[in-house]
Amino acid sequence: MDNTYTTFKIHPSIGIARLGNTDDDFYLTPEQPGTLPIACDEMGREQKDKKGNPIRVSSFKDDNDLSKIKKQAARFRVFAYKNEEDTEGEEIKIGGTYNFIYQTAVTAPRMVEGKVTDIDWTVHLANKKASWYEFQETDGQEGYAPSHPLRNPEVTQPDLRRQLIIDPGPLTVNLKNNKGAFAKFGSESKKMDASKHKKVSYPQTFPPSDIQPNSIETLGSLMVNEQEKNIRLIVLGGNGNSGSTNTPVIESFVNNDGWFDDISDGPVTAKIEYTFTDITYDGDKEIKTKTSGTMDVQVPAWVVVGYPRYVPEMEDMITMDEKMYDLFVRKMAYDPQVFGVPPFTQENNSPKTQEEFDIWRNEAHYNPDYYPKFYKELWPQLRRPDDFKYTFVFDFFGGGDPHNRGTGGNLNYETLSIPPKNGEDPYYRLRQFVLGIMRQTNQLNDYEVEGNYNSTSNKPRLMPMLCGNNPLSNTAPEKFLSMTETQLFFLKQWANGKFVNECDEWGESNKNCTNPWANPPTTGVGINRGVLSNVLGGAFCPGGELSWIVDNPAIYSEPYRIKHATYIAGGLSIPQPIANTDGSAAPNLAEGLEPGDLTKYIGIPWQADFHECTFQNINITYEKWNNIYPESIGDPVEQQIAYNIPWWPAHRPIVVPESLNGSQVYWASGIPNNKAGDLQMVQAWKDLGFLIADGTGITRQFYQVERNNDALGDPVKPGDRVLGQSFGESNKENNKN
Amino acid sequence: MSGKKKKISQYEQVKKILNTLQGKTVPSYQGLHAFWLDPETFITASLYGQRLIAPKEDSDSGQTSHGCCGSKDSSSVPATTKQSTKNSGGCCGSEESSTDAASLEPAVSAVQQPPTTTSIGDCWPSGGSGGGGGGPTQKRSDQSAIITGLKGHYPFDGSIFPKLLWDAAAVASADQIQIIANWIDADCPLTLEEEQKRAAKVTEVSTNNSRLALANGELLHQVSKNKTNQDHRDNKGLTIRKEVSSLTPEELGTFREALNCMFQYTDYWQDERSFDYWARIHTDSCQHGWEQFTTWHRLYLYFFEQKLQDYNQDIALPYWSWTDYADQNKNTFNNKEYDLGVLPKAYGCYLTQKGLDKLKDKKTSEGKSILNKKEISSLEKIVKNGTIYNSGLRFLKAAGIPYEIINVNNVAVWSDKIKAIYDILKETNPLWFPNRWPGSMGPLSQYPTKEDINLLLSLDNFGDFGGGPSYDHHYGSLEKVHNGMHNFSGGTNPTYPDNSDEWKKIYKNLKLTPDPQSKENPIYGWMTDNRITAFDPLFWAHHSNVDRIWARWQELHTGTPQEMNAVLAPWSMTVQDTMSIQKLGYTYMKDSVFYDVSSKVGLVKFNSAPTQVSTNTLDTHRKAEIKIHRVQRGNLQNAHIRVFLNAPEASIDTPTKGNDHFVEEITTFHGSCYGGPGHCNLPLDKTRQFDQRQLHHHEPRNYKINATDAVQRILNNGAKDITIQLIIIGIDGNQIDNAVYIDGVSLNFMD
Repeated sequence: MDNTYTTFKIHPSIGIARLGNTDDDFYLTPEQPGTLPIACDEMGREQKDKKGNPIRVSSFKDDNDLSKIKKQAARFRVFAYKNEEDTEGEEIKIGGTYNFIYQTAVTAPRMVEGKVTDIDWTVHLANKKASWYEFQETDGQEGYAPSHPLRNPEVTQPDLRRQLIIDPGPLTVNLKNNKGAFAKFGSESKKMDASKHKKVSYPQTFPPSDIQPNSIETLGSLMVNEQEKNIRLIVLGGNGNSGSTNTPVIESFVNNDGWFDDISDGPVTAKIEYTFTDITYDGDKEIKTKTSGTMDVQVPAWVVVGYPRYVPEMEDMITMDEKMYDLFVRKMAYDPQVFGVPPFTQENNSPKTQEEFDIWRNEAHYNPDYYPKFYKELWPQLRRPDDFKYTFVFDFFGGGDPHNRGTGGNLNYETLSIPPKNGEDPYYRLRQFVLGIMRQTNQLNDYEVEGNYNSTSNKPRLMPMLCGNNPLSNTAPEKFLSMTETQLFFLKQWANGKFVNECDEWGESNKNCTNPWANPPTTGVGINRGVLSNVLGGAFCPGGELSWIVDNPAIYSEPYRIKHATYIAGGLSIPQPIANTDGSAAPNLAEGLEPGDLTKYIGIPWQADFHECTFQNINITYEKWNNIYPESIGDPVEQQIAYNIPWWPAHRPIVVPESLNGSQVYWASGIPNNKAGDLQMVQAWKDLGFLIADGTGITRQFYQVERNNDALGDPVKPGDRVLGQSFGESNKENNKN
Repeated sequence: MSGKKKKISQYEQVKKILNTLQGKTVPSYQGLHAFWLDPETFITASLYGQRLIAPKEDSDSGQTSHGCCGSKDSSSVPATTKQSTKNSGGCCGSEESSTDAASLEPAVSAVQQPPTTTSIGDCWPSGGSGGGGGGPTQKRSDQSAIITGLKGHYPFDGSIFPKLLWDAAAVASADQIQIIANWIDADCPLTLEEEQKRAAKVTEVSTNNSRLALANGELLHQVSKNKTNQDHRDNKGLTIRKEVSSLTPEELGTFREALNCMFQYTDYWQDERSFDYWARIHTDSCQHGWEQFTTWHRLYLYFFEQKLQDYNQDIALPYWSWTDYADQNKNTFNNKEYDLGVLPKAYGCYLTQKGLDKLKDKKTSEGKSILNKKEISSLEKIVKNGTIYNSGLRFLKAAGIPYEIINVNNVAVWSDKIKAIYDILKETNPLWFPNRWPGSMGPLSQYPTKEDINLLLSLDNFGDFGGGPSYDHHYGSLEKVHNGMHNFSGGTNPTYPDNSDEWKKIYKNLKLTPDPQSKENPIYGWMTDNRITAFDPLFWAHHSNVDRIWARWQELHTGTPQEMNAVLAPWSMTVQDTMSIQKLGYTYMKDSVFYDVSSKVGLVKFNSAPTQVSTNTLDTHRKAEIKIHRVQRGNLQNAHIRVFLNAPEASIDTPTKGNDHFVEEITTFHGSCYGGPGHCNLPLDKTRQFDQRQLHHHEPRNYKINATDAVQRILNNGAKDITIQLIIIGIDGNQIDNAVYIDGVSLNFMD
């Protein structure tokens, strides 16, 4: 063993749990993009097939009850890294030997070789939505104006404001005390709690128990399991309960005073328990004492609870992994061969201090000699839209198939994947065409391709043709979505012939060359990224699981790691204007995040925004304005509207095949497209169907399963106008109006 | 390998290795497939922008200066023209012309914007990337993708591409990679015959290796064999006027060649190429006895030297350091023994075999050989011994050839035989002059010593030193000393009747009237006569020394002549224009030793071979200075450079305090540089006539380090020669190999 102590890290760096309303049945979060969740036993132990591969779950509801959705559990593990060169790490096991720092109250720190016996996992979930500011699109991204309205604005007394936070306090579990509940003391949910310090009191805050329609007495639970000597943490989220202190009505897709939901997020830390043989001397006599110690895992993690992923195998147009990757590449020297200071090597691009980062950020740029890999860095961007035809009808009028991946289609990988060879580049123009219709980051408010065109034909529309971060208000509009800067850079390289087709070059040794994520990840980084690849990476209005705060480099301690703030029990921060009145804690991104700080931007209750995120008519008359009032001045301007621009077809289905090869139906049939529907969704989310995939390649299709027709009625086909049924169409309104 | 086995060529070995490594399946390699099997592909093609085998260095540098955008980075340029025709039509990313817009679908053409390239190319010519911009030059193999790829170095470290070969049966061993690298560094011979042909060139390849060894101080930097002025000019330094005894045989040879060439134009004395043209200027315009003495002669030398440099730009006028010969001349100055004065050997009279052969062929008008057997054998002895004589007379005396004067139209001239011999002697050493008999002129003042010159230099106003203005004219002390040396070097003609009873008789017999200004047998040497002094080539070395002493005085004092705006005819320059010799482009050194250093490799330690300067230089120099030439500045880290003498083992850990070998520590102060690609490159050489811009901020700079005391300490400790060591230390105190890029180190001795 070398002389350095081991670095321990928790993976995934950001774990994702999902709400569910079954009593105890759950499955594990998938760790690869677009894959089904992993089956597990009642303690969260992964189920494996004979080859050792995870068994996938394809049933998402209670075996006997289609109104009960299973929870998705976030699983955490501790990896050990031998030294700085070790980038892969290895999960620690009971009995594993590592170098630990041993320290007691009376001895100086020293390094000892110890054996792992257990891990004390500590998690602290909270929900700060009701205590936070109103979500108003892009407002707040750069800080909140003093006049920015708060949710529940009448609550201005700091202690009362803190009461709006759902804070069950932290829980610590390990192999001996292997279950914990983020539940109200004395509640039914708290009874299963067997956590390490369960008798330690904490100034919990929960919503009043009489909120309607559903009360909230827990944000979730923890368990620890041992599988093949690995000690793993399982985090389960809330039950999907949302309720209001008033007569429940929904007034806005995102801000509803009096409401609470049981979404949450918070830090995950761990302490490794180990034993070692301590040698002391009595004169010449060697005395060996078996001693136990603990050491904190130096690099902790975070857990985020989201709502169910109804189409687990369909990737979002931009995944959270891609969104964060882009940020870390451009701001944190994550992949200097892509973006850095020449020569684009790791050695030359390792800023450590703030000053070094400032210099690096000033000088770094995309590497013109970077060759993106077709199947890893290009094809996902190009193939995803074709899947969306199973959750959305693209062109109600033309019926065209703009994303056709088949022979002759715009997005046929057989032509797009061929790089120039021997000076021949037959698909150069096709690639240039595809690049030309991709929306650049400076075209967020452009609907169509610019430039000369034959006026008799339609201009091509810019892609992706999805809603952006702000198609609603007039503050910093971002009407449409663009791929990330880094993805666009990959596309640019590709269009110019600078890319590699992996299957041409190393397909022989890697049969999965067309899917780099075909095998479950074995490295810590692979797990980090795999988990986030199933989280929505945009648009953020406010977003799916997380909002635009993920685009702020201040919240990270290192790539993919949320910075942990220190805080005192019962003293979680509240918006600054109120915190200032009694000097209590206000948010401070530079110091890190507290429990609840990642999800507080999301709509409350989440079901309202989720229901409304179908598609949107966007006013494109003027680039810089979403809302215009020409009638107030009698301006005869002809308004231009981009109709039916979808939000996130993979995250919130709209029109889906009723069954395999079945006809298309509205996914949310039975829930009307209005505020009453939003309110209905507070209950109906658990009755909606899931979509699973069948087949491979371009013949792969998605279809609906497990819809609870008993609660929602039979699904409605587009074109069928049935009284009281939804068309799935629902426009979010600027919540300032 | 066993001797019986048929020897196979390197390329065959390379193919075999790569075939074996690849195994059965060959991936696309961007359509190149088994690229190693086709030498043309292998040597010219790129794999995803990575040139498999780097182009040869010389072809690379050609691109740097003239290429179009991005051509500097050869790796990003498609390897063959065939490849480049497809999409990259013009220069600098002007690609719109390459797309045939008319044939496109309207919707397609709507989006056919010219692709905006992420990188702007570096299409600006420059002096090259230098050490900081481009990093040290590596071996050709190190820049070849096949080698970096097999080794798994960036970008084949998995960051952009996996290690080569792809989908291979095996991973290359270090030995296998080395065989391929050797083949590339031998410039990719394809057959055994080619290998042998290139074997001679292998030494060149090894220079790359030795470069690194030199930069690490493992090999000694040898004294440059170039002419001093070639090295200094190559490093954009001033022309060095050296003490004449420090000229190398080559330098002396070129100087003599130039004068011989000038002498060929003697009949065309209005031609600037004629030596007489220049000598006559003194006759017509010289300034003596007032303050323009120094300034006029400075320009006179300047323009003459410029003319010489037209012939060969390495030429500089040497100077005759009078005081170096003071000891030897103690007894030659004030006595009746004529032409025994000691002058620099370069100006002496001697004969070479070639000259002797020519003499042997010379016939009198009667067709007889001009030399008899006895004379020939004496001359052969002189040639063999290589003896150098103070004067022509001394030479003739040694050869047993009587000096003969004849009467031609009542003018005393040399006999045909003497003329023939003198012609050959002049041709052999154009610096020798027949009418020069250095030494005594009878009772004269003292030969100047070092102390005398120091006294002269201590004068603290220009008037005393250099003379007074026209309205209060008087000689300066410098000129007075100068006068004495004119007379000493010209000397007294022992064969002039006034000086010899024997020659009184000879003249009488020849019915000749003695003429003190006789062209071929004057009373004194021509150096003594300011009308004709410049015809003696020694004049120029003499006046260089005068000019040097003034330049030294200028370093010590601030005084100037009073009439600064006066024009110095026949030139159009003024007194003011002569005030700086540096501005006129030259400086004086007793001797200069240059060590060429490669700026292609970052210096870690400089370790020199001994200087091999003369004992005289070591003994008599006034100042010793180490100059570090052309220290690059662009985007380099700061570092300390510790300078040692005679400490070949010096390292980072060598103490400096109390160490007699330690000279000085200098610290560089650079900065990062901002701008487009190539902004940190070295600037172009200034070649345009009207380029009046200031020193470019990335022009490499020089450091001068006064090493006088250190050299003295070393010599006092018994050293017989000097070596120089530079140790490069990062500002963090650790070794650093990419902070200091220099072109040379010189040790310069000043009088």
